[in-house]
Amino acid sequence: MNLELTLHYDLSPGWLAPYIGGLRAGRAMGARCRTCAKVSFPPLRTCHCGGCGPTWAELPGIATLRYRSTGSDGDFALVVFDGAAGLCVARLYGFGPEDRLGIITAATGARPGLCLRPVKGPAP
Amino acid sequence: MVAISGAALTAFGRRRDGSSFRDWAAQAFDGALTMSGLEPSDIDLLIVASESDFFTLQLNPASVIAGDLGLTGAATLRVEGGGASGQLAVHAGVARIIAGLARHVAVVGVDPSASALTRDTMRDLYGFSFDAWTDGMTGATSSMLYALSFQDFAARHGATEADLDAVTIQNRQNACANPGAHLPRSHSAAEIAAAPMIASPYRRLHCSPLSDGAAAVILSQPGALPQARAAAPRITGIGASSDHAHLGARPRPGDFSAKTRAMIRALSMAGIAARDIGLAEVYDAYAGAQLQGIAALGIAPDWQRDMYAGGFGRDGRCPVNLSGGLMGQGAPVGATGVGQTATCALLLEERYHAGLQPRRIPEHALADTHGGIATTCAVTILSQRGGA
Repeated sequence: MNLELTLHYDLSPGWLAPYIGGLRAGRAMGARCRTCAKVSFPPLRTCHCGGCGPTWAELPGIATLRYRSTGSDGDFALVVFDGAAGLCVARLYGFGPEDRLGIITAATGARPGLCLRPVKGPAP
Repeated sequence: MVAISGAALTAFGRRRDGSSFRDWAAQAFDGALTMSGLEPSDIDLLIVASESDFFTLQLNPASVIAGDLGLTGAATLRVEGGGASGQLAVHAGVARIIAGLARHVAVVGVDPSASALTRDTMRDLYGFSFDAWTDGMTGATSSMLYALSFQDFAARHGATEADLDAVTIQNRQNACANPGAHLPRSHSAAEIAAAPMIASPYRRLHCSPLSDGAAAVILSQPGALPQARAAAPRITGIGASSDHAHLGARPRPGDFSAKTRAMIRALSMAGIAARDIGLAEVYDAYAGAQLQGIAALGIAPDWQRDMYAGGFGRDGRCPVNLSGGLMGQGAPVGATGVGQTATCALLLEERYHAGLQPRRIPEHALADTHGGIATTCAVTILSQRGGA
């Protein structure tokens, strides 16, 4: 069987809508836990402390690189955003070997992914 | 306790012989059933592990495979848990037998992971096998996420790129004595260093291949075993656990914490300690994942010392991945966990490939599987009949 199949998905973001909308606008929308007040980014519907039903909080959008991996699969890092309680995975655009600080930049294309450019670097 | 009355694997690799995943499933099942001494009519339930309908283009594959195997009329079930699908299918079968709902269960894992789709398509699909809405949408690949996780592990545990090379060399060397292995290779460190960088620190040779293939086990209630199989190995412990799907939500992204929890549960059920494990098939999707897995499972308190002292070799204290693991034997995803359990059973029965069979047969063996970056973890402890 040699079959070509084209699929078009139209999935609603549901409770993640503010987060996804934020990525498209270049804004970092995190979830503030109603119980412990920590902000998760990407957002957790249920916090590590067990609290659920978070409110939305915009972060400054500045992130520090913790671990970075590069190669034929691209340039990515585990980063921590100012004001956020945990780490997140981000795609890096235009980072030099010594760059450690990034700012969120609007996601383009079909995939609303978390993208960073260096704080003083060129736009993607 | 549940007996493994039959176990078999097809060769793993990229199949170009015109055969299909349905042929491989039948081949593995036939081998396991013959070993068990049972008839198709003895099978109460068929459980099929297959990771994705994208690979097989077959929704509800268990019903179709049941027909091929002469099991129409038996209950059927499909289990999916990413890379852990096969081990979770084994667990589902064990639970049915312990609950008294079945006497004999056939567990068949199968996937055409190498040949059905292009490499680029597979890479795209695997990007969605993590949290597709967060990590997945960045375009991060499986290799990338494993690499970031390993970097955190290395920073806190002192792991090095030389350690990655040591795992790669040993697993592929083991595969050289496994006639069903996808990548039987004798690598040198220089050869590994010359391979393209996929996601630092992972070079191409540090990664497992995607493979085609199938594996099967027949699980039996001990009281229902044919006399000739009365001494079959037993499954004495199973344990499963989960972790946050997006890597950054974990307090320590390099620790396989869910694997630790799964192991504790399985050890508790088996009534043994981690130091009692004398042989292990560990989920090595990447070289570093094997080290992270060994650390999480607690089977070697000082994994670095044990690795370089030969502790994980064929005649070491706890041989690891004698089959070659995913890196050497290959990884047809749905078949992987079933194959690991089948391999442990065959090793305990001294029925495995002669060049890999340890001289000292341990009392207890461990099959360790996970999906995601150790997001869905499932471990199974096997014991000699008299071992527990």
